[in-house]
Amino acid sequence: MSVGDFIRNSQVWKSIFRHPAPRDRRNRVVVMLTNVFLHLHPVSVRKSGIALSYTWCMGGLTFFLFLVETVTGVLLMFYYRPTLEHAYNDILALRDVATLGVLRELHRWGAHAMVITIWLHMYRVFLTGSYKPPREFNWGVGVILLVLTLLLSFTGYLLPWDQLAIWAITVGSNMARATPLLGYEGPGAKLLKIGDVELIHSGSDARFLLLGARFVGGETLLRFYVLHCVAIPLAVAMLIAVHFWRVRKDGGISGAL
Amino acid sequence: MHTATQLAHSVQIGLGVFYLFVALMNVGFALYQCYAANNRRQGIVWSLVAGVFLVHSLAYFAGANWIISAGFRDFTTQVMGYYGGQLGPILYTTVSIILFVLFLRYRKFFTEPVVAWSILNLGLLAAGWSLTDDNFRKIITKEDNVPIVMLIFSVGFFTWLPFRRAVLNDERMANGEPPMEKEEEEKVLVWPDLVYTEMIAMIVCTFVLVIWSVLLKAPLEQPATTAKAPNPSKAPWYFLGLQEMLVYYDPWMAGVVLPTMIIIGLIAIPYIDFNQKGNGYYTFVERKFAITTFLFGFIVLWCTLIVLGTFLRGPNWNFFGPFEYWDPHKVLPLNNVNLSDYFWLPLGVTFPEGQGIGGILVREAPGIILVLLYFAALPPLLAKTIMRPFFIKMGFVRFFLLINLFQFMAALPIKMVLRWAFNLKYIIYIPEYFFNI
Amino acid sequence: MADKSRRGFLRTIFGTWFGIAWTALTASAAGMTLGTIRFLYPNALSEPPSKFKVGFPSDFETGQVDNRFKDQNAWIVRIRDPQLGDIIYALSTTCTHLGCTPNWLEGEQKFKCPCHGSGFKITGVNFEGPAPRPLERWAIRIAEDGQLEVDKSKKFQKELGQWDDPESYVKV
Repeated sequence: MSVGDFIRNSQVWKSIFRHPAPRDRRNRVVVMLTNVFLHLHPVSVRKSGIALSYTWCMGGLTFFLFLVETVTGVLLMFYYRPTLEHAYNDILALRDVATLGVLRELHRWGAHAMVITIWLHMYRVFLTGSYKPPREFNWGVGVILLVLTLLLSFTGYLLPWDQLAIWAITVGSNMARATPLLGYEGPGAKLLKIGDVELIHSGSDARFLLLGARFVGGETLLRFYVLHCVAIPLAVAMLIAVHFWRVRKDGGISGAL
Repeated sequence: MHTATQLAHSVQIGLGVFYLFVALMNVGFALYQCYAANNRRQGIVWSLVAGVFLVHSLAYFAGANWIISAGFRDFTTQVMGYYGGQLGPILYTTVSIILFVLFLRYRKFFTEPVVAWSILNLGLLAAGWSLTDDNFRKIITKEDNVPIVMLIFSVGFFTWLPFRRAVLNDERMANGEPPMEKEEEEKVLVWPDLVYTEMIAMIVCTFVLVIWSVLLKAPLEQPATTAKAPNPSKAPWYFLGLQEMLVYYDPWMAGVVLPTMIIIGLIAIPYIDFNQKGNGYYTFVERKFAITTFLFGFIVLWCTLIVLGTFLRGPNWNFFGPFEYWDPHKVLPLNNVNLSDYFWLPLGVTFPEGQGIGGILVREAPGIILVLLYFAALPPLLAKTIMRPFFIKMGFVRFFLLINLFQFMAALPIKMVLRWAFNLKYIIYIPEYFFNI
Repeated sequence: MADKSRRGFLRTIFGTWFGIAWTALTASAAGMTLGTIRFLYPNALSEPPSKFKVGFPSDFETGQVDNRFKDQNAWIVRIRDPQLGDIIYALSTTCTHLGCTPNWLEGEQKFKCPCHGSGFKITGVNFEGPAPRPLERWAIRIAEDGQLEVDKSKKFQKELGQWDDPESYVKV
């Protein structure tokens, strides 16, 4: 008996994989049904539906890059402190001192790549008309995921706390100041007042809520850090679950039911 | 100005590698034509092309000093600078729209593999020449700009591919055959056919990402300080389309209203598009209107504006030609005028500062009336006249949603043209309440 | 008719135990949401003091822009105004477009914003680029010790006609 057979016949192996190797048709079906990760897929798909020239694989790559970002992001969190005092130096240390300092690069370029792949995924879905009934709702979920991906990227942009970061975020967040009615330099905000007291001012408007202060500073860094590492990823993970579930339920990757 | 006449050694090596890569690509294409497509003549042609690139490559390896000529560089800079320095953005936008229309009109020609391959080769040759220019190279090789180079090539490829298939499918359907995607209706098991594809895709992706990360350092500039804004200060690249809109619109429009309308518009697409054809296969003929609109938004208004914002907007957010030195002291007279001034000044009417709402409304009446006409009168007019068939098919809510989204999308090109043609700054100008359009 | 339907609505939300229960649930969920949003507004801010002294009026030359207090968000400018004569005022360094910090270009005699190219004259009035309105001015006065004191808690906007306010400049 070879070592391979010994392992495959052991009680431990059999408790994990409760069927023979997927070499015949029956077991290739069973493996898809018994594995929690694989069962995101159906058991069989239309052949034309998985042709690379048709699907481009971009949705799958976006999900894979999300996983890459999660793993590298968690690793980076071990060395990064979101305070004015430490943030920049921690990034410097990650670049110059840490072993495998390439992690920050993986995280940043992975994020850029993810923005591109999610656009291309949307592009493909549009061009094959895959948003058409009965899959309208899932297209909407996808649009929200696109927005959240951009927000993830945007909040992450601030964390190195360098000149590139602070000014990109200053410019970006100042747009919130111009929100109609809710931003203190937005149209109509000056009309919202009780007597002489203005309701919307620089300490109460939409931008203040986003930054946690009146200027991009330590409070903002902390706020964006929490959004970037916890709040938005959780929302994205939840919506990805909905998105995948609906892909299955609305007809699968190969076309409508 | 500020350009070396001698290429650095590292640049020569880089160009050698670049041309060697292009030559190898063409060798591959020649082999494909020869053996897979069984077309000897094409095989010979592309072998010759590969040879030309190989000569370039070897020359640069051997220390050649072929640089883009100063005359050409000065010529482009001069052309971009006409019309009070405003010709650059005008040319860029009009040319991209014209190319877009030509591509859709002559898609059969442009998606022909040999034609597409020639275009790619010409593009790479232009890139190779341009890379010999100091200023061009400095901008294109900035770390955060690399994704945009990737974006250009990937969007180009992934526009060619579906259109190639759409052209083929449209021909098949015109002959009464089903589209290619409906041909293979048979089912295959996900294990092994799909899971292995996915695994290979993940491995390739990881490989590319690791190579990219090892070769290119993530940018890190000086520590943040609020006292000194870098010149130019740019948003992250995927928002540069929005930043470009900020040149023409106030933040509340460009940063809040228009992005919100983009999101709403995207979500609304499946509910507006009543055309049930073209589901699950590539086609153009069956969905002309939908695809043209979406592509105009994605390619012309989103991607090309990102490219413009990244490569052609320099210090002070001035427009710079592709080979122009980014001079922070470049002076462009941007004396923009509001519509109210155009209207009231010739009539000899002036309005004092700090007046009440009544006075403001009178002052801005021309603009307010125009905007109201655009949003309130134009849609019913269209429903009655040229878009009547749409209105009947879609019904009241769908039609007006479509037209309104359309109007918001058109708002950017309209304001661009008004700015270029009349130096128009604002149609409505009420700084007292931050309400400028 | 309108009265009847309104009564119908009230009956739906308060008329039955079920209605009351759902209404209470909705109201408390809304209350919690609002409370959460309110929680995200900090009550205490650690900001530098809004008043600071910049020196004696004689330290500033006519026609010059003083860059020394840029990191405190102010330019001190002394010019000869056609109506008011020799004045000193404090301009905010925040661009009125999207809040970048413009640079004073001595050669071209203008403030130029690096983000979107807005240009302002030495007075702070916008004349080119996308900025919708002039730079703001801070309150400035001569303190008891004769030094100029800038107060950033008060701002003056030209388009509201506030630059005529004597608090917005100091006459030399």
